[in-house]
Amino acid sequence: MNALLFGIWIQWKLDLRNRNNLLTYYAVPLLFFLFMGGIFSSILPDSKATLIQSMVVFGVSMGAFLGTPAPLVDVFTTEIKKAYIIGGIPLWSVVVNNTLSAFIHLSLMALIILLGAAFIFGATLPENPSTFFAAQSLFILASIGVGTVLGLYSPDHTKLTLLSQMVFLPSIMLGGIMFPASLLPSALQTVGNVFPATWGFIATTTNSLDFNGLYPLLICLFLSAITVAIRLYQHSRA
Amino acid sequence: MFAINVESLSKRYSDDWVIKDLSFEIERGEIFALLGVNGAGKTTILECIEGLRSYETGHIAINGTIGVQLQSSTLPPHITVTEAITLFSKWRKSPPDIHDTASLDLSSFRKKQYASLSVGQKRKLHLALSLIGDPDILFLDEPTAGIDVEGRIALHREIRKLRDSGKTIVMASHDMAEVESLCDRIAILREGHFAFMGAANDLTTELQQDKKIFIKANVDLHQLPCLHCRYIANFQDYQVFQTSHLSDALLELLDRAQKAHSLVLDVRIEHASLEQRFIDVSRDTH
Repeated sequence: MNALLFGIWIQWKLDLRNRNNLLTYYAVPLLFFLFMGGIFSSILPDSKATLIQSMVVFGVSMGAFLGTPAPLVDVFTTEIKKAYIIGGIPLWSVVVNNTLSAFIHLSLMALIILLGAAFIFGATLPENPSTFFAAQSLFILASIGVGTVLGLYSPDHTKLTLLSQMVFLPSIMLGGIMFPASLLPSALQTVGNVFPATWGFIATTTNSLDFNGLYPLLICLFLSAITVAIRLYQHSRA
Repeated sequence: MFAINVESLSKRYSDDWVIKDLSFEIERGEIFALLGVNGAGKTTILECIEGLRSYETGHIAINGTIGVQLQSSTLPPHITVTEAITLFSKWRKSPPDIHDTASLDLSSFRKKQYASLSVGQKRKLHLALSLIGDPDILFLDEPTAGIDVEGRIALHREIRKLRDSGKTIVMASHDMAEVESLCDRIAILREGHFAFMGAANDLTTELQQDKKIFIKANVDLHQLPCLHCRYIANFQDYQVFQTSHLSDALLELLDRAQKAHSLVLDVRIEHASLEQRFIDVSRDTH
């Protein structure tokens, strides 16, 4: 197996062994899904139409903003970084491994929600699965991009927690997944548009690949990639 | 043929110059030790050579591939020993199993996660990682810190074996006994430059000539100047003299006591330790 693929495999296993990642990638999103899914589907039967999308957006936001950055802080703010450099392990591979590992974990978590919502709560399955999965994948990648930026720019775990919550909480409150964004004041709707959760929810609830819903996610992904590249360059020069 | 050539290396942190115009050469196949008190700049020099740290001026030439064991290295807490070795080996395009040498004895804890390893086991793992790719030059920063006696002996055996196989080893250490037994040459750093550089034997030979006489007598023997020794201080009930001519100094002091009708209650001779010599050189108290 080539070094990069082996690194992804190792990172995937490390994420499972890491309590923080296990909680943010699986335990909390799935418990929240079971709890809120039960409430939503019983008191608001109409919510079954978007239960999968809202729970996926919640779970992915939690995993990407609170889980994905932590292993990066572990590497880039400690002597692990030096150990990797002298061992010939390029720093970009750490980011790639973490991104792809997180993508696999969050996709699995989203799949569990999709199947669970359909079987347990009778939620409506997406009409066009390929469109749904494509939009979901783009949303996951864009969210991981933001999480990676948080991980590479946080000087320690304390500040990471603060920064992550500053992105996660507004994503959930203003993203339209708990209640329709149209009920929010226009100023808060505008603020909500900054976060990928808003566009992830729109993109996954649209049954066709609507570029108007996807381009904000593409821009988010592009900006994250540029920011990450700059940070990696700074690390390589430090 | 040199393995490492350093010319006019200078490095500063803010306005503090920790290395000042340092030049030295390390020959192929030798074990070279950098010594110095904490903060003397040993790790900074090693990290400049290893390419982990930038420097203000100077030129460093390295003749061969390098392997590095850092002083404060760490790995992800949940990675196992086997996974770490395999990961590093894959990036270095080297077979992962050749580094599990008998003396490092990694097999006994190869399934353990990094966070649950003892300090000594972590040291052994980092040494094994530094050997991946069969490097020509090995940098070992405090290689045996935290390792038990048995492990230390095994590691010394491994280091000698590596030297015998033609590798150049550069190490930083606080352990004088380790340095004396392992190293061909040593350099003692003081305030950014070398206060001593030479064969470990040179320092030891100097020590043979540096002795202390502890004499317990009921009169002061240091009132008159001594021809062959130098009065240092009183220590408990003893008057302490330093000399490089032991027999002459001893005869002179005993003769002086006899003439003063003093009773000599005890005489002790102490060879200056390598540690003391190191402290003297590194702090310029000699």
